[in-house]
Amino acid sequence: MQSRIRPPSFSGRLHDVRTATIVGRLLGIAVAICFLTGLVSHLLQEPPGWLIGHLPARPVSGYRITQGLHVISGIAAVPLLLVKLWTVYPRLFEWPPVRGVGHALERLSIAVLVAATILELFMGLLNTVQWYPWPFSFRSVHYALGWVIIGSLLVHLGVKAPQIAAHWRRPRQGAAPKAAAPQGAAPQGAATGADDEQLVRADRRSLLVGLGVAVGTVTVVTAGQSVTPLAKLNLLAPRHPDNGEQGLPVNRTASAAGVDLKAVRSWRLSVGGPQGYELTLDQLRALPQHKATLPIACVEGWSKSAHWEGVRIKDLLERAGLPDGARLRVVSLQTRGGYRVTEMDRTYTRDDLTLLALRLNGEVLSPDHGYPARIIAPNRPGVLQTKWVTRLEVIPG
Amino acid sequence: MSPISMTLSRLLLGALGVAAAAFGVAHLLTETRTGTVTQLVVWAAGAVVLHDGVLVPLVLAAGLLLTRGRLRGVWRAALLTLGTVTLVALPALLRPGRPANPSVLPLDYPMGLAVVAAAVVAGAAVAAGRRLWPARGGRQP
Repeated sequence: MQSRIRPPSFSGRLHDVRTATIVGRLLGIAVAICFLTGLVSHLLQEPPGWLIGHLPARPVSGYRITQGLHVISGIAAVPLLLVKLWTVYPRLFEWPPVRGVGHALERLSIAVLVAATILELFMGLLNTVQWYPWPFSFRSVHYALGWVIIGSLLVHLGVKAPQIAAHWRRPRQGAAPKAAAPQGAAPQGAATGADDEQLVRADRRSLLVGLGVAVGTVTVVTAGQSVTPLAKLNLLAPRHPDNGEQGLPVNRTASAAGVDLKAVRSWRLSVGGPQGYELTLDQLRALPQHKATLPIACVEGWSKSAHWEGVRIKDLLERAGLPDGARLRVVSLQTRGGYRVTEMDRTYTRDDLTLLALRLNGEVLSPDHGYPARIIAPNRPGVLQTKWVTRLEVIPG
Repeated sequence: MSPISMTLSRLLLGALGVAAAAFGVAHLLTETRTGTVTQLVVWAAGAVVLHDGVLVPLVLAAGLLLTRGRLRGVWRAALLTLGTVTLVALPALLRPGRPANPSVLPLDYPMGLAVVAAAVVAGAAVAAGRRLWPARGGRQP
């Protein structure tokens, strides 16, 4: 018996395998960059046991580049994903909806891939403006979805491999259009003659040019939050590198962190170790001061290089009887918010560039930048560059 | 690629994919607050419904209205660019509440979007002009 309900039909010719392959390739590159840079961020922020003692302090701007790329490729993925899904949209109405167990599993994997990718980009974009309307934790869900996406994407590539291979290259001029190949994937109204195929190709090229313009535009008007030469074109990013006290944007202010003014006035730095000690701010200022030019690079994608001045962590540890550095627990005066206590790997504490900074861009640190003293180390997520530092404890082992 | 190596690559991709996705699901089940998975399914389904049920039908309707003439590509590029720039700007435009400090969302976003839109329209007008009156007095292709 014929059903009365019929799936919609699509007359457009770019809902075809060749277009899906080309756009899918570009989207795949963006997703791969997002996944790998996200993984780097996760490993630097929450290193698993096997990585402790090996976290790389070089390149100095490593995290600035990977996290900048993470957000840039995520934003670029928005038009790529929309066009990819538009191209394959007719497949949503495949009839019959399920042809067997294998087909059902394939469709399920696509549903997971599509749903997770849309939600992941949405969450990432909202995180850059510090907006969290969902009830679950951003960080753990964003991380888990990254794995779900890359996994269902690999499954998708495995399922579609023959079609992708068949449509990877442009068919030779005059050859029979492969869009009408066996898979039954060709949309209704597929090209019939050579002239027609020429028209489809021209239309596809024009779609790809439009897509390129869209990707280029969203990139150029947002990337300036991390790519300094593009700062002038930064019209829509949530941060601007020139906007912030002492020439540097702020994430958590002293008042938001609940830093008590009285605690700052009676501030002492306490350093643990075999010969632990305490220093007043004046004593700390009397120690040899070193300069370093290092970026603050936030997980939300913005970053900015700055000139720091202060005491080397390695000098402080040597004074405490630890000439080889140590794994540290850094304790802040802050009373609110996460990251009051952070850990710092030995690779950073041994590094010449890792400072307990007292000055920023030629001025004493402002309260919001961590007065009286803050950590600044190379190749680290900004959230671990602890501000209002009051104690350095040695983690044994 | 030989049929055997194609089959092997496909199996390998599938196995790696299932393992990676399973790792993500395990993380969701063990490393998040109780209730997260249910909430996540609701949000993910909502995202798909908004995309497949609202956004794509609107785009398809716009596609039907696009002229089939020489300006089709220009219209499509302009609309695609305007649409995605607007989508990407929406969080900054709509975020409720005051930002944590003055360096968060420091720009005039409605103005920024207007400037980008004006640039896109200007670019589209130039491209349209070149299509309608090609190579006047200039080099012949």
